[in-house]
Amino acid sequence: MVQQSIAGLHGRPTGAAEGDRSARARVVILLLCAGLVLAVLLSLTSGASDASAVTVIRDWLTGASPGDEALSARDRLIIYDIRMPRVMMGMLVGAALAVSGAVMQGLFRNPLADPGLIGVSAGSSLGAVAVIVLGATVLAPVTTALGSLALPLAAFFGGLATTLLLYQVATRRGRTSVATMLLAGIALAALAMALTGILIFMADDRQLRDLTFWSLGSLGGATWQKIGSVGPVILLALAAMPFLARGLNALALGEATAGHLGIPVQRLKYTAIVGVSAAVGASVAVSGGIGFVGIVVPHLLRLLIGPDNRYLLPASALLGAGLLLLADAVARTIVAPAELPIGIITAVAGAPFFLWILLRKRGVIDL
Amino acid sequence: MIEAQDVSVSIGGKRIVANIDFATRPGELAAIVGPNGSGKTTFLKALSGELGYGGRIAINGRDLAAMKPAEAASARAVLPQATSLSFPFTVHEIVRLGLVGGRSGVLPGEDARLPERALARVDLEGFAGRFYQELSGGEQQRVQLARVLCQVWAPVLDGKPRYLFLDEPVSSLDIKHQLIIMNIARDFAARGGGVIAILHDLNLAAMYADRIFVMHRGRLAATGSPREVLEDGLIEKVFGCRLRVGVLPSGDVPFVLPQSAS
Repeated sequence: MVQQSIAGLHGRPTGAAEGDRSARARVVILLLCAGLVLAVLLSLTSGASDASAVTVIRDWLTGASPGDEALSARDRLIIYDIRMPRVMMGMLVGAALAVSGAVMQGLFRNPLADPGLIGVSAGSSLGAVAVIVLGATVLAPVTTALGSLALPLAAFFGGLATTLLLYQVATRRGRTSVATMLLAGIALAALAMALTGILIFMADDRQLRDLTFWSLGSLGGATWQKIGSVGPVILLALAAMPFLARGLNALALGEATAGHLGIPVQRLKYTAIVGVSAAVGASVAVSGGIGFVGIVVPHLLRLLIGPDNRYLLPASALLGAGLLLLADAVARTIVAPAELPIGIITAVAGAPFFLWILLRKRGVIDL
Repeated sequence: MIEAQDVSVSIGGKRIVANIDFATRPGELAAIVGPNGSGKTTFLKALSGELGYGGRIAINGRDLAAMKPAEAASARAVLPQATSLSFPFTVHEIVRLGLVGGRSGVLPGEDARLPERALARVDLEGFAGRFYQELSGGEQQRVQLARVLCQVWAPVLDGKPRYLFLDEPVSSLDIKHQLIIMNIARDFAARGGGVIAILHDLNLAAMYADRIFVMHRGRLAATGSPREVLEDGLIEKVFGCRLRVGVLPSGDVPFVLPQSAS
């Protein structure tokens, strides 16, 4: 059903100003806002505790004063200290992954580009795995000093280091070759995965279990403290990206033409790269490997509202956040009381969708 | 005024453009002609700041090397030979990209209608809602020209002339649209702007250009009015084939020249 309605809309421009899809984009963004609110409510109220949406909203509105129908202390604990940070984390990570995907695709002028593709995610994973495996031995001084921040920071710097290395390799005399960067990204991702493999080989049984669950992706470990450490990074990166929208639009015509139009192309590329690695590194650190959000969300939205990044970026943030909350709700309920890693949900839903996009666009996308 | 002094460009250690002195005034349509591989496009890319160069280039007296992208974008617009597109933009959305620098030069508020007017000028009325990638090559070329026109819609802004750099603007157009596009270029110059166009059709160059620059093996082989430049000896030397200027075909072979358009 979803497929039919998408195929029916197909991004065909309609309306008064011909070829101008701004009006439609604004409507879609409003709908996405509403959808996100619903996803938040659903997320807060689904799971082992049966506090209903109505009670939760009433509790919000009346404050913490205990009334006859207010939440029990247990429910309040579950909602405010477990589910709410988890919902916040889901929104941050979903928005970060989806917007990073959209920005990368604009930067590489390639609708199939993704932070996972150019090695940012692999670099972040390497950093995180190093902390998990070596945290008690070689890196012990670092991990004891940083405490629970060690993992997110390591993932963040792993992603950033990979991206900067990549940038060095692909840039000659101030110009970044996108083809070189894609290929170098594949090489660096392979290298990072090999190093990660060595670390996994060294890991003991308990570490292996940690690693497996972390790498499958989960929002389960969300706490207010983690949000405090990675939230600002993600929010800062997200806040910078709307300033890239016009430049990324011009970049669709090629680097030279974007320059002719007055876009400072090198600065644009540099800002995009740093922003994406920060957002992705922070996301990987707290939630592990959550795939396909960065490819599927922007793609779906381009079908609906077109490729104009001024609308695509905010819409991607909203849809990414909402979809990840829904995926997380499924992850929590489908095998309750156990919990499925969310990366499995996004892959099971995202991979076939992605293949469907490829089939539909066969002959249109040229790499 | 666009001035180039002793401009050279090397790509990968090979010298493509060597020691070119070039100047064109506002109000003038300058045509660059020459055989394939003579360095025309490379020279235009140096003028547009896209390629590094030796020597000096100045636009309206300002050193190009010192100009920021936004400043250069307000002084000149560039139509490249070919433009590939990575996402399914509509024609309207492509043309609107010409306004990204915000220096089209129309009254505030008229910007929004400019893409429509630009499309009408290049004879693409009613194409705004079409997908760019679904158009023919010639239509795409005219969409790009409409975008370029939006960028410098007013040929003179704040008392300073602006310029169109056109790399083979009519290469994939039928004869009617060749004439339409060349008339737009001439009109832009007539209203105080400047145009530099790379052309392959010597008849079009003779008909529209105020001055022709002939390039040969990376150097400037001749400069002057069409009458001065287009002569048998130069054409044979530069293009390597024996042609005679102004000779009609013998017998009853039909021929159609752009000059006969009325």
